[in-house]
Amino acid sequence: MAVRLVDRPLGLLALVVFASVAALPARAQSPAASDEGTIRYRQKLMSGVGADMGAIGDILKYGLPLQSHIATYATLLSQRSELVAAAFERDVSAGPTDAKPEIWQEPEAFREKTQAMKDEADKLAAIAAGGDAAAIGQQVKALGDACGSCHDSFRKPKEESYKRAGAGS
Amino acid sequence: MPAGRAAVVFTAAAALLSNSAIAAETPDELVARGRAVLEAAGGCTCHTDFDDDGPPLAGGRPLSTPFGVYYSTNITPDPETGIGRWSDADFARAMREGRAPDGSAYFPVFPYTSFTGMSDEDLRALKAYLFSLAPVRRENRPHDVWPPFSWRLSARIWQWLHFEPARFSPDPSQTAAWNRGAYLVHAVAHCGECHTPRTLTGAIDRSRWLAGASDGPEGELAPNITPHETTGIGRWTATDLVWYLQMGFDPDGDDAQGLMRETIEHGFQHVPRTDLEAIATYLATVPPIENRLLDHADHADHADPEP
Ligand code: HEC
Repeated sequence: MAVRLVDRPLGLLALVVFASVAALPARAQSPAASDEGTIRYRQKLMSGVGADMGAIGDILKYGLPLQSHIATYATLLSQRSELVAAAFERDVSAGPTDAKPEIWQEPEAFREKTQAMKDEADKLAAIAAGGDAAAIGQQVKALGDACGSCHDSFRKPKEESYKRAGAGS
Repeated sequence: MPAGRAAVVFTAAAALLSNSAIAAETPDELVARGRAVLEAAGGCTCHTDFDDDGPPLAGGRPLSTPFGVYYSTNITPDPETGIGRWSDADFARAMREGRAPDGSAYFPVFPYTSFTGMSDEDLRALKAYLFSLAPVRRENRPHDVWPPFSWRLSARIWQWLHFEPARFSPDPSQTAAWNRGAYLVHAVAHCGECHTPRTLTGAIDRSRWLAGASDGPEGELAPNITPHETTGIGRWTATDLVWYLQMGFDPDGDDAQGLMRETIEHGFQHVPRTDLEAIATYLATVPPIENRLLDHADHADHADPEP
């Protein structure tokens, strides 16, 4: 049996695809559930951005001898900026999310912010390769300002957040 | 500087030094120190109307409170519309006693409740810095507040109920760094004005010092910054806090928003590192208070060790 399937790689592929589709719970295909999935995915993506920024922060604030890692994080952040732009294309603003409806009312302005994130991250990657600590610190701040500036317009502030204690859900 | 003049300055400075080191300051040094005081106060950005591109410190910024909207005042040295005619004593009285030069009481939206702790030297320097700026002509706007909160007399009554002018007094049992941090947090940086919940009459609830306000200034949520492990910043290291006040990033890499971002950008990021460390030293010792304002429990990405 195993031998036969190996002989027919396409057959194996079809079987695997069929099995995984069949195994999907029905509700995963309903629109409501995929809204939920979109929100969850976006939050993981943004947490990843935060983790990268936090890691860069730890390297700098504790003076870890790992400055060479910063360029890698910067490259990751540059790539993530493209994922962010794509992940927010679908309008899901209801539910446990702090995404503001303005993202879909002013898609071009939102696009500019993700582009600014990319530009600043690319700059950081270049500067980090050079290794000048003061310049790196300054560029990290510039990248952070790009985050803040997008959040200012497109993320709900804490007082409006779904995470506010007692906000209900 | 020509050698002759330098010698004169030097002799003059030496003579003054016998009185006090601060008296030896040149006017430029005094202004520079005043600028540092302003930065430690978070930049006094309430007096800048950013939304309308108002000139720095010329007032007119709406400050919404549960009692209505107050408009900040012009604190540039314009003699007509600003504070250009104020004496040092007028300035000190406004900051520490909450009284205008004409004797009327200020509403507590102006945080004299904190500034009352400020030292003579810091106030003198701050005023010198403000007076070194270009005067801006910009009329103050009347407040948009409901009676009886709009009546100056009610500010008087409020002060009578809730306010006792008092200079900061160091605690001799603590280190110099702790005392410096306590002075900055209480008097200059006025962290407690935003981060402490208020009573129904708008007074800072001292029993919940720094435990966070869900409806802080301008309706913003100011988090719990007591060292409580799960609802405050108990898990932040001193280094995390210094980094936050310098760079505007929390340990999770999230950026500071709203009023906090403003105070960092226009103020705290310029404060000397030793002072920021002093703030961290003091904050680590305030009583931890459990007060959850933000719920991370339902947020899949923040595993919360609480049940
Ligand atoms: C003008 C009001 C104001 C003042 C003054 C102020 N803060 Fe804040 N602070 C805020 C607000 C609002 C936030 C929430 C920022 C956000 O949403 O990102 C905040 C956030 C913080 C946080 C992040 C807490 C967390 O859990 O994310 C820390 C730490 C903090 N402030 C410390 C301080 C310290 C220390 C001072 C004094 C040196 C201070 N703040 C003064 C309004 C203020």
